[in-house]
Amino acid sequence: MSLSKCFEILTKYFPSFLLGIRTTLIVALTGTLIGLLIGLLVGGIRAIKLDKTASKTNKIIKAVIDGILKIYIEVFRGTPMMVQAVFIYYLVYTNIVRWDKMFAAIFVISINTGAYMAEIIRSGIQAVDPGQNEAARSLGLSAMQTMMNIVLPQAIRNAFPAIGNELIVNIKDSSVLMIISITELMFQSNSIAGTTYRFTETYFVTAMIYLFMTSISSVILNAVEKKINHTRTSLPQSDTSIESIVIAKKGADHVNN
Amino acid sequence: MSIIEVKNVRKSFGNNLVLSDISFNVEKGQVVCLIGPSGSGKSTMLRCLNLLEDIDEGEIIVLSQDINKISDINSYREKVGMVFQQFNLFNNMNVLDNCVLAQMKVLKKERKEAEMIALEHLDNVGMKDFAYAYPSTLSGGQKQRVAIARALCMNPEIMLFDEPTSALDPEMVGEVLNVIKDLANKHMTMVVVTHEMGFARDVADKVIFMDDGLVLEEGKPQQIFNNPQNERTKQFLSRVLQADL
Repeated sequence: MSLSKCFEILTKYFPSFLLGIRTTLIVALTGTLIGLLIGLLVGGIRAIKLDKTASKTNKIIKAVIDGILKIYIEVFRGTPMMVQAVFIYYLVYTNIVRWDKMFAAIFVISINTGAYMAEIIRSGIQAVDPGQNEAARSLGLSAMQTMMNIVLPQAIRNAFPAIGNELIVNIKDSSVLMIISITELMFQSNSIAGTTYRFTETYFVTAMIYLFMTSISSVILNAVEKKINHTRTSLPQSDTSIESIVIAKKGADHVNN
Repeated sequence: MSIIEVKNVRKSFGNNLVLSDISFNVEKGQVVCLIGPSGSGKSTMLRCLNLLEDIDEGEIIVLSQDINKISDINSYREKVGMVFQQFNLFNNMNVLDNCVLAQMKVLKKERKEAEMIALEHLDNVGMKDFAYAYPSTLSGGQKQRVAIARALCMNPEIMLFDEPTSALDPEMVGEVLNVIKDLANKHMTMVVVTHEMGFARDVADKVIFMDDGLVLEEGKPQQIFNNPQNERTKQFLSRVLQADL
């Protein structure tokens, strides 16, 4: 293997690599984002504990939903994404609709990531001190309000490193989606290697590009993590300063007296 | 008429019987202190009053309704403030938002109005200047004072205190007890689980001594502290009061 040959391949096939990078990033980013949303929903639902006073029907509905979600998580964590991709792609293609490969790829990576995210969010929720929940409920907030305002924001913060990890995993593992011939980086690399017959050099370049993408992601994720450790609440903020409120209050008291 | 009536309450966690047969009343404006050794069921009793635990048998009537039969738990809880041993301030919000959140979400108040009420209560507990501080930057005593202000923002009719000073450094106990004493002077109805015997003696209208899930003795503080009738009460008080010196 010669480094100069590597450089030659990179420059000569740069547009092809670039297309691969673009597709990989689109698939990985949207897949992680949609996966996170799925995870929040599934993990959130699974973490909800019904009040002891809840009706029997509600308890049964909850148990059934929990069961379905558990099966979803087990199936998608327990089978390779490559198999999921071909199976789901052809299943839909031959039986339902001749769908776009790119759409199929994002669909598969999203539900696959969602299964992992659901468990990440659930453990993030479980790591939130139960006292937070009790305090919120004791103020009269509903289970849903408590989840949205108190528990989930803290759970996401707890789980952020693991959520970021999923993005990095997806940048790399989206390579298996070449099985349904989307133009992501691995698929492009295979074509280039097939053209040049320089397998070692081509895949070395590929590896370096993956490493570059994941390193940049790590840096960004670390910066974001620092940032969210200082974020404020989602409640709308007013522009009123404490002093002006206190002055207004004193004024009102004065008038009242 | 009593604002809280607890009648023959029984509660167990699995095989562990925590409350065997508890009955007591709280009148409007009264301060009632629950005292007794650890594991006697005081905190569990208090948590039952706010429906954080449900009871197996008996009845709890608060504000003229059987609380274990009401359908809207949230609107009941909004009338009964609770302060916890571990403060439980919302870690993802600053002090002001801790006090504003439930006012906006439960009482549907405008932000401005909620802030005004919050700052008034924070001012009363001496925490107004910390309105934009996050809980992680506060001392235990400060957190507990904010927690009390947060509960008061809901304008509750009853306040429940679950060992409010047990997790504090000794030097911070005073500042929190003073806030609770102020509330007592304003005739807030309060049920306080406490190990602070001095506080119970000075502030309580009624002291209830619990052990092993039973009320062994209840009465005015002078009566309980100076002239306890029950052997177990005598034993407990002599140990605790000795430790106080």
